[in-house]
Amino acid sequence: MDTGGHEYAFYLGCIAPNRYPGAESSAVKTSKKLGINLVDLKGASCCPAPGAFGSIDLNVWYAMAARNLVLAEQMNMDIALICNGCYKSIWEVNHKLKHNAKLRDGVNTVLKEIDMQYKGTINVYHLAELYYDPEIAGIPAIEDSVKTPLDAKIAVHYGCHLMKPRKDREFKFESQSKTEQPMWIDELVQALGAEPVQYRNKMQCCGAGGGVRGYDIVHSLDITNEKLINMREAGADAITEVCPFCQLQFDRGQIEIQEKFGVSYNIPVLHYCELLGLAQGMSPQELALDLHGISCEPFLQKVL
Amino acid sequence: MARTKGYPEALDKKLQDQYFYPNDESKPDFLKSVKEISMTIPHMCYQCGTCTASCPSAPRSTYRIRKFVRRAVLGLDDEALTDPDLWLCTTCYSCTDRCPRDIAPTDVIMAMRNLAFKRDIVPVNFLKTVQAIYSSGHGVPNNDVNRAARVKLGLPADPPTTHTYKEYIPGIQKILDHYKLKANADRIVKEREG
Repeated sequence: MDTGGHEYAFYLGCIAPNRYPGAESSAVKTSKKLGINLVDLKGASCCPAPGAFGSIDLNVWYAMAARNLVLAEQMNMDIALICNGCYKSIWEVNHKLKHNAKLRDGVNTVLKEIDMQYKGTINVYHLAELYYDPEIAGIPAIEDSVKTPLDAKIAVHYGCHLMKPRKDREFKFESQSKTEQPMWIDELVQALGAEPVQYRNKMQCCGAGGGVRGYDIVHSLDITNEKLINMREAGADAITEVCPFCQLQFDRGQIEIQEKFGVSYNIPVLHYCELLGLAQGMSPQELALDLHGISCEPFLQKVL
Repeated sequence: MARTKGYPEALDKKLQDQYFYPNDESKPDFLKSVKEISMTIPHMCYQCGTCTASCPSAPRSTYRIRKFVRRAVLGLDDEALTDPDLWLCTTCYSCTDRCPRDIAPTDVIMAMRNLAFKRDIVPVNFLKTVQAIYSSGHGVPNNDVNRAARVKLGLPADPPTTHTYKEYIPGIQKILDHYKLKANADRIVKEREG
């Protein structure tokens, strides 16, 4: 099929390839069906995790993110990625280094030690942005690619680092800068034949970031619990997100909440790529849904 | 307009000093350091409280981002850096998104955390992340259960990251060593855990 020439270096991060490989696999396959070719980016490391790592030393954060960017510059390819945390590290550092000569020089002094130089020649995109953009894929193309409409109620969790702070982001469409009540990923979910449900405080954090999941897990789970209460109130059959760390927090988090708070929701959590894969006809096995903490069975029985 | 006649030098000095330092514990250099690392403008804060009102951690702890910004402006370094709530910010950036003065309170927290680390004040989980990245390139490294799942999906057991291309790891270690991150992380972990 005609790929339309949209090719990107696929920046993987850590949690997708190493904990939810179905998200990685579905990203590649669903993109291909939509004319996007995701190519291996060899030798990438952790982005590095903006909260966990940036808290220690921001200089190292800039340098390590820049190293990952240089790998793509060497391929002369823009980057596509599937994680909000990685988006902050990779997109934001790229943006900062392009506009701040002092920062750039500082980073290049360090990169010189490993024979690398950041030049600022490529761009970074979250795959959701590429899906949303009609010049790359777009809602009609997604609708056309759907074989199995996912007739269920789905709560969309946007996460934090993709869109916030809006003054430090440069999206193509105005709908993507609405950080109070965004709808653009709801639109992407609707394109799959699902009903995106509106719930209280939809832009609240999942609670995992900033190293908080590691520092005080109960505190982070209390934040997640509040979101789950609101999502259940809206009647969600499943949760979808575009960040594997949020996915981990909602998925493993529900099991941890069962253990520590004694309360169960049993709402399956799927990355948008996994949902899109399902809608395009990929099987639950092809999506490694059995690796999920919360069983996707009730949701699968509803939609398949 | 009335003009001061009695002590013009003192008036000049007062007009040079832009910030308010209430007592001996205030260190002007703290605000300078925070501003430099955070690249934001905490001195513009008029304590409206929109940040704390937007914060997911505030309703369930004693963490108050507004107070941390105030401490930056007042130069109260010890109070800020020894507060255990410094580590409860999830970096959701809601405060930054809504601040009416275009300050990035989240970045103030990150700057303070960087300064705390320099004093060996840091929760051990952050250090474990540094160690994982130093040895494998990943903050969350692969494991055998996942490797088996990857192979079942038709993916290579390890992703094409530093897990497969291990020749890139020395380069990463060089970056971390340039900032002495590994040495300091190891030292602090040893002191805490023996």
